[in-house]
Formats: sequence, C-alpha cells, structure tokens
Amino acid sequence: MSTPGNAMDSLSAALKCNIIPNQEYLLQGSVLDQYVEVLLHRLRGLCDNVDSGPETFHDHEICFSLRIPNSGATTSMPMSVFSLRVRRAIDVTDTPFQLRYIGQQELGDKNRPTVVRSSIDMACSSSIIEFLNELGCRIDFEYIARGYMFRKGRMKITVSKIFKMGSNKQESVEPISQSYIVELSVLAPSGQDSIGEDMRIFAEQLRPLVQLEKIDYKRLSNMM
Amino acid sequence: MQQREEKQLESALDSIIQRVNDLKQSIASMIFKIENEYESITWPTFLDNYALISGQLTSLSKVLSHDKCPVLRNLTVLPLMLSPERDEQLAQMTEHRVTTFAHDLCPDYLRTKLEPMAESKMMQLETKALGLQYDNAQKQIATYQKVISHVWDIVSKAREEWETESSSRGNTQQNSSVADTHLLVAAVGMGKGLKMGPNPNGQSNPTSGGMMVTPQGRPGGPPGQGQMPPTTQAMTMNKAPSAIKTNIKSAAQMHPYGR
Repeated sequence: MSTPGNAMDSLSAALKCNIIPNQEYLLQGSVLDQYVEVLLHRLRGLCDNVDSGPETFHDHEICFSLRIPNSGATTSMPMSVFSLRVRRAIDVTDTPFQLRYIGQQELGDKNRPTVVRSSIDMACSSSIIEFLNELGCRIDFEYIARGYMFRKGRMKITVSKIFKMGSNKQESVEPISQSYIVELSVLAPSGQDSIGEDMRIFAEQLRPLVQLEKIDYKRLSNMM
Repeated sequence: MQQREEKQLESALDSIIQRVNDLKQSIASMIFKIENEYESITWPTFLDNYALISGQLTSLSKVLSHDKCPVLRNLTVLPLMLSPERDEQLAQMTEHRVTTFAHDLCPDYLRTKLEPMAESKMMQLETKALGLQYDNAQKQIATYQKVISHVWDIVSKAREEWETESSSRGNTQQNSSVADTHLLVAAVGMGKGLKMGPNPNGQSNPTSGGMMVTPQGRPGGPPGQGQMPPTTQAMTMNKAPSAIKTNIKSAAQMHPYGR
C-alpha cells in the first residue's frame, strides 16, 4: 500500500519526467446548423473511427468557481478566481463524473499554431458536486453539450451543440445559437509543440467549412 | 516571279520539315515510354504525350493549308537515278532507315496515291455511300443527332451541377458565422450567456469581465425569448448554494485574522 507521501513523491517524479499529459492544444470554430451534416461527412472521411461511425455524447457540464481573497494587497485584483468543471454524461448512467481544471490560455505569437492551456482531467464519483459545495465552490454556470466526437491519431475533434439550462433542469433546454461549436484538441505533456503543426494541417483540411482558429478569450470578453 | 515562288516553296518546305521532325520526335518518345516505362507510366502523363502529338498534327495541317504554302499537289518529284548500291549520304539523312535508293523501295517512298489495299477499301466505301438511299441517310443522321444531343444534355447538366456546387463552396461565409463562433466560445469558456441570476454578493464576476449582472437576456443572443419565469425559478434554485457560499466566504475571511 502506498502512503500519501509516496503518492505525492511519485506524482512529482512523474511531473519532473514530463510524462503527464497536462497541456491542452486547442483550436476552436463553429459551423451553422444546416451545414453540420456536411462537416460530419467530411470528418467521417478524415478521421480514424470510421467503421463505428461518429461517437455521440450528451453531457452536462457545470463550472464551479472558488474565490480566494488575495493576501497581497493588489487593488486591481481583490479576488483570485479558481474554476473547476464537472462533466457528467446524461445518455450513459454508469460512467464516472469528470472533474477538470483548465488553466489560463497562452496564445503565444503568430508562429504558434494553437492555443495552449494547462488542463488536468480526472474521473470521480457523483459526490464530487457535494464535495465542491462543501469546499466553498459555487456554481458559476452550466450547460448541456450534445454532439459528436471524432479521433484522428492523438487529436480529438468534437462537434457539439450547446444548450442553456432551462428552468426545469432536465426538460426545457434551449440552444444558445444557430451553430455547432467545433473544437480540435490534443492533450499532451508540455513541450511537445510539434503537435500544433499537425493540428494546423488538419484544421486546414476542414476549411472553408469551419474556420478553426486560436481564439483569445480576453479579447472576446472586451468585444462582446 | 519564278524566284519568288521558289523562295516561298523553300520556306514552306523548311517549316513542314521542322514540324514533321517535331512530330517524329514526340512519337518516338511516346513509343519509348510505352515500351520502357509501361509499369510506372501514369494515365495523365500518357494523355499529356498524346495531347502534344495531336497539337503538333494540328500545327502541321495548319502549315499545309496556309495561304503562303504553295500547292504541293501541283509539284512532282522525279527520281533521276536509281541504284542498288549503298548510299552513305542517304543513310545518314534517314537515320539508317533507308540505305539504298533502289527499284523496290522507290515506289513506296515516292508514293502520292494511297496503297492499293487502302485505295480499294476507300472505293468500296465511296460506292456504298453513293448507293445509299436519301431517306435512309436522313434517318441515320437524325438518330445520330438524337444520340449526340442526349449525351450533350447529360454533360451540360453535369457541368451545371458541378458549377453551382463549386460556386456555393467558394462562398466561405455561408458555412460558419464568426459571431456564432465567438458567442459559443465565450459561453463554453467563460459562461457568457449561461449564468443564471445575479451574483449573490452583488459583485461583478471577474471571469466574465463584469458583463453578466442582469439576469435576463444574453448579450449577442436572439432577443425576446421571454425567459423571466425560468430566471426567477432558477434564482430560487440557486438560493441554497449561494447561502453556502456566503458562509464559506466569511469563514475564509476569518482565517487571516486567526493566524
């Protein structure tokens, strides 16, 4: 049996060896509802899991946030906000919940083809929501994502419709736009920047149906 | 006058010879390719070669039918001397295909009429064509035209479809909208438009840049959804977590003083 100390040691050793896939390389885009079939068709041709057809998913994602008052008296940022996402499958009941931490995104310069952000995923039981509540986390927002997942080597492509939660949690959901969000991502240990080039080439193949791009969240929040 | 015609003939012959040589070269290279690269040759390269040859044939016939070209039919080639001896000069000129200018070869090389076999076949066809009934010929032409026009219809229809498809594909803005991309990414990444109710502490949310203080409506979303009742319900549902939140918050604030 390993003691907690041992577990911490092996974790830090793994971190040092750089084998934990904790960097997410990401490109995002969208496609209008009426062209989603065309996109799915093309993805079916481009991706690995052709025989079984696209994998569908129907998930509920809740984003929790925890506010921690900063001890250092910086007036501009009185609170630091720490968010965690919990995702559960609606269509399949026996899968574990997924807890996910997503870090600040780095855009890098023009030569870098994708957004890079740290990302840590883990499976957990359904009591995670209660646990996070006990920790002081608060539901920031939640949504339903329904769509299709494709694989191409290490790359994951999701085409999903985002629904806003209605009043009556299960039943009334409404799509928030007339488009599907398309995400191309790879989880890899840090430093493997070559994958970004592969992703750029793959994204190129989906043009002009979908423009997969690096999207700057900061600029987005200023724009809208 | 005579001199001018001679000059014209010479230049015409020069250009004809040059074109025939070109043609000969490309036919030779094609034959070489077929014989030596028949395993690796691709269909497009084969067709390229073929197109080259047919282009050269066209230019040759253009030269022959040009106004400046004298009527070659009116000219005669007269063999002055035949000899069974090997002629080195001739062999060099013809790349060793013809070594002697003798009686057996001369009629073949200086032939201006078709070969007897081909000639008889042509004659047969011509008599057949002459003997054809007018009505029959007209009928055949009509059926032939019908088939051709049918094929033409099919081809032009296919082309039309192809063109509309490619033109619709060329229109990039049709397939995705930048506004929707931004809306969706902001929603998934920062919860813009997904948050329910105002913040319990009345603070703006740093992650969203303080945009989501009003409960109803999402910026950028379709207006007039009439979602007031859901929002109020959602607010009551959010009551419990918010209570916990404030509790925890005060506890967290107590910590620094405790230390």
